[in-house]
Amino acid sequence: MVNDSLFSEFSKQASKGILVIYAKLLFKAFKATWILLIIFIQRFSKFSEESLVYIYVAIGVFLAFFLVRAYLTYKNFLFKIEGGQFVLKEGVLKKKNTSISFDRIQNINFKQNLIQQLINVYEVSIETAGSKDTEISIKALTFEKAQALKKALTFIEKKTAPLEVAEEQHKPLLQIGFIELFKVSLTENHLQNLLVFLALVFGALQQLNDVFKGIGKDDVLGNYTDVNPTDVFNSILIFVVLILILFIVGVLSSFVRILLFHFNLTLVIKDKSFEITQGLLTKKSIVLNKGKVQSITISTNPIKKKLGISFVTFKQAVSGKVKKQQHKLIRIIGCKIEQINTIKDLLYVTSAIDAETRYVPNDYYVQRMYFRSAFGILILNGIILFLINDVTWLWGNLFVLPVTLLCVHLKYKKAFYQFNKELLLVGKGRVETHRTYLPFFKVQNIKLKQTFFQKRRKVVNLVLQTASGKITIPCVEENRATTLYNYILYKVESNKESWM
Amino acid sequence: MGFSNIEILQLPDISKVVFKRIHKDYLKVVLFSVLTLFSILFLAVFLLERNVEEIGDFPYINYLYLIFIVLFIVVIMAFVIGFSRRKYALREKDVTYKSGVLIRKITTVPFSRIQHVEISEAPISRIFKLASLNVFTAGDSSNDLVIKGIKKEEALKIKEFINQQIHG
Repeated sequence: MVNDSLFSEFSKQASKGILVIYAKLLFKAFKATWILLIIFIQRFSKFSEESLVYIYVAIGVFLAFFLVRAYLTYKNFLFKIEGGQFVLKEGVLKKKNTSISFDRIQNINFKQNLIQQLINVYEVSIETAGSKDTEISIKALTFEKAQALKKALTFIEKKTAPLEVAEEQHKPLLQIGFIELFKVSLTENHLQNLLVFLALVFGALQQLNDVFKGIGKDDVLGNYTDVNPTDVFNSILIFVVLILILFIVGVLSSFVRILLFHFNLTLVIKDKSFEITQGLLTKKSIVLNKGKVQSITISTNPIKKKLGISFVTFKQAVSGKVKKQQHKLIRIIGCKIEQINTIKDLLYVTSAIDAETRYVPNDYYVQRMYFRSAFGILILNGIILFLINDVTWLWGNLFVLPVTLLCVHLKYKKAFYQFNKELLLVGKGRVETHRTYLPFFKVQNIKLKQTFFQKRRKVVNLVLQTASGKITIPCVEENRATTLYNYILYKVESNKESWM
Repeated sequence: MGFSNIEILQLPDISKVVFKRIHKDYLKVVLFSVLTLFSILFLAVFLLERNVEEIGDFPYINYLYLIFIVLFIVVIMAFVIGFSRRKYALREKDVTYKSGVLIRKITTVPFSRIQHVEISEAPISRIFKLASLNVFTAGDSSNDLVIKGIKKEEALKIKEFINQQIHG
């Protein structure tokens, strides 16, 4: 049983939490000043002993100041439960009072970063579908207290249901070990991961470059251009080696990313929710309320398909205008077919939907894509001819043209939609294949969009807006679109269930 | 699949709904705003031409004015034609708005998914006693429904009606 009185008075975080807050403050300060620190270390020998003392004192004062601030933050962070509301008082100088009623709570997540793991406290974040201000995170609670809080918050919400489910030991539906993780990471989209990695590296380099401007170091890429371009064999060799290196870096960055985010992934299914735990440095535990999942997407790619694995993305309601979508999309990698079927069943996604009639977008869809890419390539060629003025660049068309054609072809081939009385299934993708399942009653508003050209071909885009974003079905024949429009509205308006 | 035929026949059909136009005074508001914007732009170009020699000597400056005038006419035309396309309709359980010249759009929001309704009045609209009705849904609210340019009493009535449907 839950001891409600535990939270009826204002309580503080675990006292170890000061450390967590302190670390967070220091990290923030470090992030703002790391370039200064690098300069400081580089010029270390140039400082006179006297000024060094001042610098040390200054640093010491800062450290002490942050410690005091951390302590005050901790001291002023108070929370309790009162009359069906979670009440939070916080702020040292600027006081803030927040209260959230239980029915607005989307879910309660546990998180542990490196420090929190070391001192064994949990960060509890309470998410709502409301505005950004009502996102609450309690930085440090002991495991028992965190559990108790979660129970207290979910317990009262369910008071209407008198049946108390006995707390049984749930066996995880899915548990991904290191080997499995490694296998999954090999089948990732390496190109995308490579780009993310390169963007990170270039971002950091750019920052460093701004600081060390004028020092006059040639970068690595500068050396490459020194190679005599007439030596065809050499340049091909370098090209191949470069591609190889990029490929390896891509695979490595896939592996690192997968390892960081999905280490020790465990999915446990409980009565009304999924519980997902994953992460290496920051261990996250997320409880997904089944009713609050808006849509799921099951994705795979050719290699994954061979191995029989896919990943599932759950979409929940997004808060207000917050743009941290990545966080709200909850992704489970390395699912086998049986596990996917179990998840689908639990979310009332009947497998019968997969056998329904498959509708494809109107031909106009593919014609438009060909037209657009032709236009894009023409412009590209125009730029090359008139601005760069180097005909050798035009050889690039040999690569760009087939790739574009292939992409358009694949995109058209993979676009489809199917539906039965309750569900919509939308397929899309180029190399990867994404199948999105959406129960009709989750739709929040519905839109038909028709360009001038589409009107002539009597096709429209059907846009379904849910609390977690929109789903578009491109180029649907007018009459079918209108039928779907009317039907979906009917489904939403006659629905009595809560949809988020 | 099929919807069974019976089911289709019974469903309210969006294409048979009688839509209402927004208030004709709103065209004045729109035209006034466009006119103001273009006047400011024109003034800026004109002053630049007179006062900065490099630009004044720019040989194609007359073409620039021509483009400017054509653009102005096109924009005005687009708004005038587009204005007659801006229509809305209230049904028992939802609200619908449609608009668009080159890209036609029609959006419907069921009352049961509306989080709240807001009425806002821009300064120029206020002269004509016009208001706009903003309908908000939960979550990623980028695509909510806005009906601009209806009489304020009308907007208040609609707001009241929707609120009754949501809470009543």
